Amino acid sequence: MIQMEKNIVSFTNNTVTKELPIQINVENVNIFYGDNHAVKDVNLPIHEKSITALIGPSGCGKSTFIRTINRMNDLIPSARCEGMIGYKDVNILNPKVDVVQLRKEIGMVFQQPNPFPKSISENIQLPLRFAGVRNKKMLKETTEDCLKQVGLWDEVKDRLDRSATSLSGGQQQRLCIARALALKPNVILLDEPTSALDPVSSAKIEELLLELKNSYTIIIVTHNMQQAARIADYTAFFYQGELIEFGKTKTLFTNPEKKSTSDYISGRFG
Amino acid sequence: MKIGKMVTDAAPASGGKSKLINEKGLFSQLTDRTSESRGKLLIYGSALLMIVAVTAITLFLSIQGLRAFVVDHLNFWTFITGTEWFPDRAENPSFGAFPFIFGSMAVTFLAALIATPIAIGTAIFMAEIAKKWGAKVMQPVIEILVGIPSVVYGLIGLSIVVPFMRQHFGGSGFNLITGAIVVGIMILPTVASIAADSIRAVPDSLRQASYAIGATKWQTIWRVVIPAAGSSLLTAIILGMSRAFGEALAVQMVIGNARNIPASILDPSATLTTIITLSMGHTTTGSVLNDALWSLGLILLLISYVFIVIIRFLGRRGEKR
Repeated sequence: MIQMEKNIVSFTNNTVTKELPIQINVENVNIFYGDNHAVKDVNLPIHEKSITALIGPSGCGKSTFIRTINRMNDLIPSARCEGMIGYKDVNILNPKVDVVQLRKEIGMVFQQPNPFPKSISENIQLPLRFAGVRNKKMLKETTEDCLKQVGLWDEVKDRLDRSATSLSGGQQQRLCIARALALKPNVILLDEPTSALDPVSSAKIEELLLELKNSYTIIIVTHNMQQAARIADYTAFFYQGELIEFGKTKTLFTNPEKKSTSDYISGRFG
Repeated sequence: MKIGKMVTDAAPASGGKSKLINEKGLFSQLTDRTSESRGKLLIYGSALLMIVAVTAITLFLSIQGLRAFVVDHLNFWTFITGTEWFPDRAENPSFGAFPFIFGSMAVTFLAALIATPIAIGTAIFMAEIAKKWGAKVMQPVIEILVGIPSVVYGLIGLSIVVPFMRQHFGGSGFNLITGAIVVGIMILPTVASIAADSIRAVPDSLRQASYAIGATKWQTIWRVVIPAAGSSLLTAIILGMSRAFGEALAVQMVIGNARNIPASILDPSATLTTIITLSMGHTTTGSVLNDALWSLGLILLLISYVFIVIIRFLGRRGEKR
């Protein structure tokens, strides 16, 4: 890591040539935990059907920021957000926003795989049931469809009734992604989805994300800079609560504007 | 052997003993403050005493409880299925314990039926809705309620529930459902407290997963948290039931103590425990009635063991998941 030369980083998958339309527009967002100013004045466009990676050292505010996009921070009583996150002509941070509906459109996957201690099929069907879907045929079809999308169908089709906790860590995480897809969201947030997984499982998830970006907007927090370089179209570098630099991944990694960005990506700190 | 040899080889050439070899006698092992044997003795001793006590109680109850069948030649089958309990009738005394077995079961299940919804509701409120208030105020209050002697619950039943039942449902007010209500209230704090603990033990990651797929708070509690706490919630209920099953005093004060099977829940009735506490003082050791009461005690013990086995089974199933 320390001697990460530019030639180690491959950009084979970053195929964005033209600018994609903006789906989420972040303007002057400030986030506080009590008196702690965790995220400072962030401005950032999230482009549709692309992967945006948020990188930066621990405690830089990237996880806090991603959790604000679907208002998961509401669960922390001391958290407070200011500014604007524009999505479909509304400000997500508006207290009048229906967070239940919002989270149906902006799904989330967490660091630790957290399947429900229920059967594999129930894990995918639960979001639909929460949304009021009763039709058995539709539940079944969605289960198959989502599992196919994450490449888990062939591995589990004979044991859909088995507990989801019997799957391996990597399979559990792919199940969690399938669960997030069940409601056909527009955006998927992933908070360090591979940091608890082995390299092979991580590679599978990365491959999967590259496929999913054709249909979904993906925002991923990652500790792993090579991961960002491999899969992200855009990368945002956070440091001490501030967004230091944002740009196309290739530009950011090969020709960073700020010194702290180049220090971080070349492994001098972090 | 090899290790021992190596240590001896390593001993100082001056002939002094190596500290690595324990050559202390039994006495010095017990008096030495740094010795491990003292702690070991204390802990092993306590464990042994406990095992001996449990075995002794079981053995003693078994011997006493079997006397009725072995010495007094009562038929075991007619004892547990017979419905007539007239032990002191001069001619043809009969020992049919079924009304009491039935009474105990009825009180236990009705009490669980009354207590469970309220207890689970309280637990959800404490552990999910008003977390701070629940942990700081309600949990201690509920723990105090667990410690209130059962006679107090009996007194409250006697002065409030019995008159209430008399006014609204007729009769004396001393009946099966009154007993079940009093015991239900009594086990409520036990069940609520354990249930709240098991809800708190559900990892937060599951709640987050649920919220992240657009669940409301109620959906999260009902469809994710409660099922995840599932088997430990059942354990809480069964623990409450085993307490209800063993309760004598509070039940005896309000149930009416009739020796026949109640035709409805508004009829007076009796349980295994109440009949033992009521009759034991009036018998002489070695009499048939005395032996029969011991048999009731044995049945009580066996059913309590069944409750414990169920709790263990559920606990193990919970761990597996």
